[in-house]
Amino acid sequence: MHLLTADKLVKTYPNGTQALKEVSFSVDEGEFLVVIGLSGSGKSTLLRCINQLHPVTSGTIQFEHLALNNLQGKALRQQRSRIGMIFQQFNLIPRKTVLTNVLAGALASTPVWKSLLGLYSAEQKRQAMKYLSIVGLDHKAYVRADNLSGGQQQRVAIARALMQQPKILLADEPVASLDPATSHSVMKYLQKINQELGVTVICNLHFLSLVRTYATRVIALKDGSKVYEGSPTDIDEQWFQTIYGEDAVEVSIN
Amino acid sequence: MDKNQDVQEQLHATMPVTRYQATIKAWCIDAVLWSYSVLVIYKLVYQSWYLNLRHLDFSWSEPLACGIAGIIVASGLIYTRLSVGKAITGLIEFKDGESLFRTAAVRLGLVFLLLTFLAGLQVSQVSMREFFSDSGLTGAQRIFTALLTPNMSIFEDALFAAIETVYMAFIATAFAIPVAFILAFFAARNLMKHSALSFAIYATVRFFMNLTRSIEPLVWAIIFSVWVGIGPFSGMLALFLHSVASLTKLYSEQIEAISDGPVEAMTATGAHPIQVIWYGVVPQIVLPYLSYTIYRWDINVRMATVIGLVGGGGIGTMLMQYQGLARWNEVGTLVIMIAAIVWIMDYASAKIRAHLK
Ligand SMILES: Nc1ncnc2c1ncn2[C@@H]1O[C@H](COP(=O)(O)OP(=O)(O)O)[C@@H](O)[C@H]1O
Ligand SMILES: [Mg+2]
Repeated sequence: MHLLTADKLVKTYPNGTQALKEVSFSVDEGEFLVVIGLSGSGKSTLLRCINQLHPVTSGTIQFEHLALNNLQGKALRQQRSRIGMIFQQFNLIPRKTVLTNVLAGALASTPVWKSLLGLYSAEQKRQAMKYLSIVGLDHKAYVRADNLSGGQQQRVAIARALMQQPKILLADEPVASLDPATSHSVMKYLQKINQELGVTVICNLHFLSLVRTYATRVIALKDGSKVYEGSPTDIDEQWFQTIYGEDAVEVSIN
Repeated sequence: MDKNQDVQEQLHATMPVTRYQATIKAWCIDAVLWSYSVLVIYKLVYQSWYLNLRHLDFSWSEPLACGIAGIIVASGLIYTRLSVGKAITGLIEFKDGESLFRTAAVRLGLVFLLLTFLAGLQVSQVSMREFFSDSGLTGAQRIFTALLTPNMSIFEDALFAAIETVYMAFIATAFAIPVAFILAFFAARNLMKHSALSFAIYATVRFFMNLTRSIEPLVWAIIFSVWVGIGPFSGMLALFLHSVASLTKLYSEQIEAISDGPVEAMTATGAHPIQVIWYGVVPQIVLPYLSYTIYRWDINVRMATVIGLVGGGGIGTMLMQYQGLARWNEVGTLVIMIAAIVWIMDYASAKIRAHLK
């Protein structure tokens, strides 16, 4: 059985935009699946439909043996907590320390009153420090998160997601706001948690060169439809032009 | 190409309508301006200057006649470059490089402004003669001498009254904070726009807050002094009500300005909605909230002294009593005391707020 299966996902926004048109795919445990496509092709929408930040219009999301799109309230929050997510803009809590940000990844497993008072257990703090050291930032634990560089903030976001002890990590263009060198460093951390911690990754990317380096499998979206699925090495010039349009030239980032 | 044609057709279809509407608007503006000007000229130039009447009567026939005259003039000028309304609604195109003041409509607008200025002088009875008259100057001398030789024997009473004022303002602010904190979430458009019911709540809260805010605390103090009797309590209630309304507005504007990112990230971790607000919303609004609240206390202290004048208690009430008795030395003490409090509050709140940045 697949870890996650999306079946005929349709997403129509209230304003009438059809962002996803019957998209189906599945992910197996341990994969590093990359989603590519032009901006506006529906990549972010797809990730947000997986963890139900946006409700799907029709279709199903099967996660292990549960249909996520039928869940609500506590049951939905419980499943969300097993799916980590990182964002293009990092989305850390401003004015809070790095450690507090990482601990926020454990909110779902912390009673509300304790989290309001910031009462985390010693075990939770130990874990948070462990994940911070995995992304190489344990020495920044008590620094305000908004004082870090972009690459460091994204690594804090990764540690926060790890704090959820997720089965899957969703990454929405995690390096789109970073320079090339930092991009590779962040991608390497994602690769590390994929290979060493066994966390399955679904990652939206813009640059084909990154796709070829990090993906184990690729799907491509165009105008909300899936137009390609296969191995990253199979993407040739022709596929590239189907995905990105006739006039596209491949730019590489090293 | 199809699309282009569509746009062209739409433009053709809508342009005359909007032009037509704008012309009507311009005509209305002109009519109001001219009615007003004719009335001012009649009252000011004819009655006040030419007939030299000291007391001007009011009768409904005058504005009526002037209104008709204004409509006639406006109708006559609507298709000329002298239409101020057309300049305002953008129907008169200003040429690049041409000075604005060379446009007839703009010049005419300035004439209207000048007229208003002259009428203003007349109405507020600006008279240099009275300002510098002998009796006027001796009066000024008397009051300033008294104010500058304050009677320090009432210092203790004044101090207690001042403390009453500051505390009254503090309690009003403190009670207003939790109420405004909760109301602000209901008055924040980004949180309330998702369903018809929540939007109705939003609109209702907004409406009542705007209504409350538009009534001066001074008026509220008068209302409450009838309700609970003259004294600090009525002043406190007036400040409380006004503070709730202002803080709700400021708080909700902060909530509307937060970035969605942290909220989305917290939701994605599987956090409870209360946790999402506490971790995703609150850290983004805490500092501006604090800053506004301290500023509000500062404003409340100032307002509290004024409210005291209508019986809201504190140093304002004391000031009113001594002023009624024309005991200017005592008034001097109180004025100095008020200036000192306002200055200290102003300074302290500015310092604290600067640190909160
Ligand atoms: N909240 C929203 N409301 C309405 N339309 C949206 C919303 N979010 C995205 N869209 C639209 O859906 C389409 C897909 O957007 P998105 O998923 O952000 O694409 P990508 O991440 O590939 O750039 C775009 O046409 C976008 O304008
Ligand atoms: Mg996107």
